[in-house]
Amino acid sequence: MSLLEVNNLTIAFGNKKVVDSISFSLDKGARIGLIGESGSGKSMTSLAIMGLLPDTATVSGSITFEGQELIGLSDRDHSRLRGNRIGMVFQEPLTALNPLMRIGKQIAGPLMIHKGQSLKAGLENALELCIKVGLPDPDRILRAYPHQLSGGQRQRIGLAIALACDPALLIADEPTTALDVTVQQEVLNLINTLVQEERSSLVFVTHDLPVVAAMTENVAVMQLGKIVENASVATLFHAPAHEYSRRLISAARSAEDSFSGKGAHQ
Amino acid sequence: MIRKAMKGNVSLIAGSIMVSITFALLILSFIWTPYDPLAVNADDSFAGISMRHILGADKIGRDILSQIIVGSRVTLFVAALAVTIAMTLGVSAGIIIAIASRKYQSPMIYAVNIALAFPAALLAIILAAIYGASTITAVAAIGLATAAAVAQVTRRTAHGILASDYVLAAHASGASTWRIIRKHVMPNLRASLLIQASAVVSVSVLAESSLSYLGLGTPPPAPSWGRMLAGSQQYLFVNPLLAIWPGIAIVIVVLGFNLVGDGVREVFDPTLRRIDS
Amino acid sequence: MSQLVLETKDLSRTYKLAKGASGSGKALRHALIDLNISVNAGDRLGIVGESGSGKTTLVRLLLGLDTPTSGSVEFKGQTLVAGKMPWLRKEVQIVFQDPRSSLDPRMKISEIIREPLVCLGINEDHDARINEVLQSVGLEQAMRERYPHELSGGQRQRVAIARALAPRPTVLIADEPVSALDVLVRDQILELIAELTKNLGITLILVSHDLSVIARLCDRVIVMKDGVVVESGNTRQVFDNPTHAFTRALIAAIPRLPQSL
Repeated sequence: MSLLEVNNLTIAFGNKKVVDSISFSLDKGARIGLIGESGSGKSMTSLAIMGLLPDTATVSGSITFEGQELIGLSDRDHSRLRGNRIGMVFQEPLTALNPLMRIGKQIAGPLMIHKGQSLKAGLENALELCIKVGLPDPDRILRAYPHQLSGGQRQRIGLAIALACDPALLIADEPTTALDVTVQQEVLNLINTLVQEERSSLVFVTHDLPVVAAMTENVAVMQLGKIVENASVATLFHAPAHEYSRRLISAARSAEDSFSGKGAHQ
Repeated sequence: MIRKAMKGNVSLIAGSIMVSITFALLILSFIWTPYDPLAVNADDSFAGISMRHILGADKIGRDILSQIIVGSRVTLFVAALAVTIAMTLGVSAGIIIAIASRKYQSPMIYAVNIALAFPAALLAIILAAIYGASTITAVAAIGLATAAAVAQVTRRTAHGILASDYVLAAHASGASTWRIIRKHVMPNLRASLLIQASAVVSVSVLAESSLSYLGLGTPPPAPSWGRMLAGSQQYLFVNPLLAIWPGIAIVIVVLGFNLVGDGVREVFDPTLRRIDS
Repeated sequence: MSQLVLETKDLSRTYKLAKGASGSGKALRHALIDLNISVNAGDRLGIVGESGSGKTTLVRLLLGLDTPTSGSVEFKGQTLVAGKMPWLRKEVQIVFQDPRSSLDPRMKISEIIREPLVCLGINEDHDARINEVLQSVGLEQAMRERYPHELSGGQRQRVAIARALAPRPTVLIADEPVSALDVLVRDQILELIAELTKNLGITLILVSHDLSVIARLCDRVIVMKDGVVVESGNTRQVFDNPTHAFTRALIAAIPRLPQSL
């Protein structure tokens, strides 16, 4: 049985469908990328798994996680999974953290809520998590506030919070888009390492083809709410089936060619 | 556009109806009232709801309905004038502070905060002590007191607009500060100002009623809803109608303007918010 | 003989921080340190840097929207003084990164493009110029009456380019012009910028963190880090044979596509 199964998921706002009957599945320890441009519905899909869609959205279809149906789940039951069995890392590290709370307390949060730990125990674990995500000087970081840290550091903390309770599934929604390219590489490597160590499954949402190729084994290409192609990375890049996938890959290759001087525009 | 705004907008529709009722009363007050609101008639003292007095009469036989109708004049006059003062002063101050250089901003913000601490009632007492209580002192007190709140909200919103990319682009296009205020800041402030104005109106109506109640507003004999409430206090258990009617009138006006404000906010918000991806 | 258009001489800009992050009183942030850059007419210069490199500060100084702490910026030999040179707006124009926020949501497209023409007192038929410039960026005249939120990201950026080109500037600064756009739209916009600047003889300064964008459009590049230029030169040379460690780190950090068979 797969860890996560999405069947005919449809998300609509009024009569506008932003996700139109999509299906995919994810095994334990596997990684899938959701790639698409703005308006493709990729972020909405990840929010649906987390149960974080706005009230105005109507959801139909099925999302099963560890055998449990998520659509229609009460917010209370869903919140038992969030930060516990499913962790999420967001795009903008600054706004994803509470600006008025010290880092230590924010990392300890999920541990206190889901594992019933005391603040003291939570902070001890938070320290270990900081070391695990490669943050230097963890004592200082635990006492700091988000605005005192760099974007890369904040994103590492976002990862620490998401992975605090050893979730079975990690959802990363454009986690490196807002970061500088050198920091991006470090954070991607970190995600890679952690996911491998914990044997968690990964849903990686992005618009960046080279990134999705490096981070996942299978890719679902989304366009206007539909999955137009779902293939392994190898198949997608060497023999893309759908016209849209071909256009995306061609644009990415063209950019790379420009960089290495092989482009036609020089 | 108004019809589109009204569609499904319960707040705006309900609020508009209530506000229209109030203005209908105002217009009516100049055309016809059942009785002269000041006409005293000892025979009708404390008359209940009857054919002669639709809403009853007060202690000295003055018709309540007529008082309510004419009382709308004071209420709306004060509200209109206070809103004008508050918005003119408040918005100007807010914008001036927002564009001021950092050196002058801090003391100005400080001054606004101090002004905010003065409730309208305190200002009204001070002005009444100097000039004697009247509608004008009430208007001035309410206008000035609310101007400070308007200034603060305007400053924050204007600051956000001034920090935006399109204002920077306007600078890069050679626009002068005055032009930026006129063409970029003011239009983008519109939504916020409309909502603030409706809040100020409701506050003004309540404040005027309170001030009249305290004897710091419109002096007798001109009918005023607030003073009607004050006068009805001692007879509350004899004839509660004396308090209920002006109370209902005040509630309708205040609630009406509040709902209009909510409705306006509903109209502007969805236009600005788009759901991407 | 190439004519010098923009030049910075030992340009420095320092900011006073209100409170150090460690709370230790007034700290200084050196955004730019003794920068010397020269741009000739017709150049296509790329500026590469990450956040905190000083590129944003440099752009503001080149636009004359800020005052240097020391050193100077010169346009065709004249030293720039912030706020005192309204004519500079006509010569140096900019396209911003985010087309969603760089267009006033309450103004129609025609008004947005008209603004620089009015403010700079351009002496020609404004409507004709608006139509002309809309056409050159590939937008129909019907666009004139629309509002920004009715347009796609790519269309908005075209409007931003049209606005920048309307007063016929000598220099166009493009600050991350395609970073906020969808991948499939980027190439179109880059192509548009390349074509227009070439055909109109406009000097281009392109700021980007994306090396492939720079490689596509710029003959020369300068790499900035922490307020200084760490490497500069011909784009191909710098990217093929980077000498500075930072440049090499930047190049190495670019995620690559799997190679085709």
